[in-house]
Amino acid sequence: MANKLHLETMQINMGPHHPSTHGVCRLILTIDGENIVECVPDIGFLHRSIEKICENRTYAQCIPMMDRFEYVTSMMCNWGFALATEKLTDLVVPERAEYLRVIMGELNRIASHLLCIGVTGLDLGALTPFLYTFREREDILDLFEMTCGQRLTYNYIRIGGVSRDIPPEFFPKCKEFLDKFGEKCDDYEKVLTENPIWIARNRNVGVITEQMVYDYAVSGPSARASGVNFDIRKHDPYSIYDRFDFKVPVFYGGDCYDRYRARMAEMRQSASIVRQALDQMPEGDVRCKVSPKFKPKVGEVYSRVENSRGEMGFHIISDGTVKPFRVRARGGSYNHLLVTPEIVRGLKIADLVAIFASLDIIMPEIDR
Amino acid sequence: MEILELAWIFEWLNENLLVPIVGDGEFGILVRNLILACSVFGLLSLIALCLVWWERKVSAHIQQRFGPMMTGWHGILQTVADAVKLIQKEDIVPALADRKVFFWAPVICFVCAFAAYIVIPFGDGLIVSDLNVGILYIIAITTFTIISLMMAGWGSNNKYALLGGMRSAAQAVSYEVPMALSILGVVMVTGSMSMQEIVKAQSAWYGFHWNIFFQPLGFVIYVIAATAEANRTPFDLPEAEQELVAGFNIEYSGMKFAMFFLAEFVNMFTVSAIATTVFLGGWNGPWLPSWFWFLIKTLGMVFLFMVFRWTYPRLRVDQLMEFAWKVLLPLAFLNILWVGLYEEVFSKW
Amino acid sequence: MTKEELISYIQENFSGKVELIENDMPEPYFLIEPKAIVAFSRFIHDDNKLIMHFLMNLSGVDTKENMEVVYNVCSYRLKHRLFFKTVLPHEKAEVDTVKEIWAVADWHEREAWELFGINFNGHPNLTRFLLPDDWDQGHPLRKDWVGRDVIPFPEGK
Repeated sequence: MANKLHLETMQINMGPHHPSTHGVCRLILTIDGENIVECVPDIGFLHRSIEKICENRTYAQCIPMMDRFEYVTSMMCNWGFALATEKLTDLVVPERAEYLRVIMGELNRIASHLLCIGVTGLDLGALTPFLYTFREREDILDLFEMTCGQRLTYNYIRIGGVSRDIPPEFFPKCKEFLDKFGEKCDDYEKVLTENPIWIARNRNVGVITEQMVYDYAVSGPSARASGVNFDIRKHDPYSIYDRFDFKVPVFYGGDCYDRYRARMAEMRQSASIVRQALDQMPEGDVRCKVSPKFKPKVGEVYSRVENSRGEMGFHIISDGTVKPFRVRARGGSYNHLLVTPEIVRGLKIADLVAIFASLDIIMPEIDR
Repeated sequence: MEILELAWIFEWLNENLLVPIVGDGEFGILVRNLILACSVFGLLSLIALCLVWWERKVSAHIQQRFGPMMTGWHGILQTVADAVKLIQKEDIVPALADRKVFFWAPVICFVCAFAAYIVIPFGDGLIVSDLNVGILYIIAITTFTIISLMMAGWGSNNKYALLGGMRSAAQAVSYEVPMALSILGVVMVTGSMSMQEIVKAQSAWYGFHWNIFFQPLGFVIYVIAATAEANRTPFDLPEAEQELVAGFNIEYSGMKFAMFFLAEFVNMFTVSAIATTVFLGGWNGPWLPSWFWFLIKTLGMVFLFMVFRWTYPRLRVDQLMEFAWKVLLPLAFLNILWVGLYEEVFSKW
Repeated sequence: MTKEELISYIQENFSGKVELIENDMPEPYFLIEPKAIVAFSRFIHDDNKLIMHFLMNLSGVDTKENMEVVYNVCSYRLKHRLFFKTVLPHEKAEVDTVKEIWAVADWHEREAWELFGINFNGHPNLTRFLLPDDWDQGHPLRKDWVGRDVIPFPEGK
């Protein structure tokens, strides 16, 4: 026993089939006991080459593809693509359609954040909040089903408007949901925000500094948790967001706990936006006349929307034909997964799970 | 209520049925012990099955859903259906597993979980064998479970399982200490390690002279350490689904998995039974038969553990260790100090 | 800064090396020499009046005649945006990496390398990550790409 103890690191494959990688992501971890020495993400398991497929379809046919680009917030993907195409075409969207887009987009944001918060709880071993958040998410999905018949891939926001008007029973149902949603948020806060174990697991874990936000292009709630006061809806408004009164919640810790709190606060703001939009909504058409084989003018556009995971941008090049010449979609998770190896170094495996959940990484957005 | 006590029924059965047939020689004792073992085993298996169902119901109602509803009355046959499914399943052994270790791990886990019940008094006189080192025996035998978990982790030849096994070893070693120390306080008061003696010492005040009233701190420490001992959330790190997928039992399927699963619930019942015996007055209580009091208290403790599980997130491994050594251990010493002071100073007034 | 201010400021400081592309979008759009990409990026990243510290998107484009790399940058602090691109020859598409300036360019460039075959000089690990590890059918997003197993999309009426 006089020999020196022989120590070595162990390589471990986290994924592609791992319950907390949120899809098929493979992380090659080099671990020393429980500590992570190195983390190398390996992606591409979900690569469907949406960008190439879009080059072979007309603009209108691209919209259902965008549902699959990021299925948790399909509304926002539809919206982002429609917005970019409308910029190329100089289409003016009817007023009522704009309001419907805002309502659906914000409801979808709430649904997405609910999923994120619930899954974070699940990943940290608290199974009950997951069921609670899904109860509310279910209500939102019911509203979507009422509107467009779909619960996951909506294909609702089209170029030049939305696919159809909302049914009359949507208003009371939506109001009812908004009325009880505040209380439910308080419930989550009780179960999670003040829970000492929750705080111990999240506080000072996976700190993203302000400099890292810029270097790695971290956006959305994750950036706002690091003290970056930037929300595309507020500071570079698209659609009709400049008509609504809402705050941009900013936190300064940059850790998992603040990312969670940023999402929590954002949900309440979204609910208030939906409420204002419901009150202000005018009557009228929901769709302007667009030929299914319309030809945008030659040009290039990059347009972005504030998705629940950060900035979602669409770079579209048009050559004047019915099909886009080049489409590139950029989602927030792409950058969040890129920054993950930087912030997990030296932490525990359990922390990696917490970070992964709090950054709200969704794999289809990365692989496209 | 004397009529409802089970002890005299067993006595009567023994004297009128068993002794005339097998005699009371060595062979007779052997047969008697075998029957006893089988009945305890059967009872516990039944309890474990019910606990699995109960846990599903409790979790369902905490989470605002129904849980199993289709199989029998409120899904009471669900566990039976699960057990049948698990028995039918193919028993898969990984190609590179250490076959012997892989096979023996669930067996040891299962046996150790049940062996603890030799010294647990289910009621007045309802005890398999009243060892004079009862509580020590329980602590020793429940710790043995950890060896089986490590064997499972090592034998599976899986890195996640290995991590789970290592975690369970570290966790058990750490939490064994405050747990034993918290029980030590009771042993100091009672002056005996026999489980029956401990229960009898709490029989004053019409059966409400419970140790928890004199050592609340000890009870709290015991409950926390026992949660860790039974691998329940917030201390279920060895099998953390989200980090280690399922920890030590990741490669187990079919009946071997069922053995781990049952052992987990039996362990939970064990720690609850110990808490009942040591801190909550055991089978002492007015009006109702003693075994009924024991069951009520124990199931109450089980319910507490279930609520823990469905309320709290999981701790991280270093926080777990810190909590054991920096918080629980000093508190356990404080508890012993308090008990000593109490015994020496207050009780003599 | 507004679009006009941005254009005049950049043309002042980087005269001769940048060429403005006229468009009716709210962002200025410049064409940069491939050799000047790193210097230009460094300038707009570090300059106090621009602070383009946020690389929103980097996409490779195959225009059939040339390869292009389009950079979309913005500033979170000053809340303005800037697009620029560089044109590369089809056969020998090479440009210096901007990974040192925007760390996020790492993956964007890997992707452009993988799907378009644009070489980024100085990039430490240009390895496959979206496509399968044993992929041998070239760069699928190029316009002239024909894959082995590709069924062409049927032309609708």
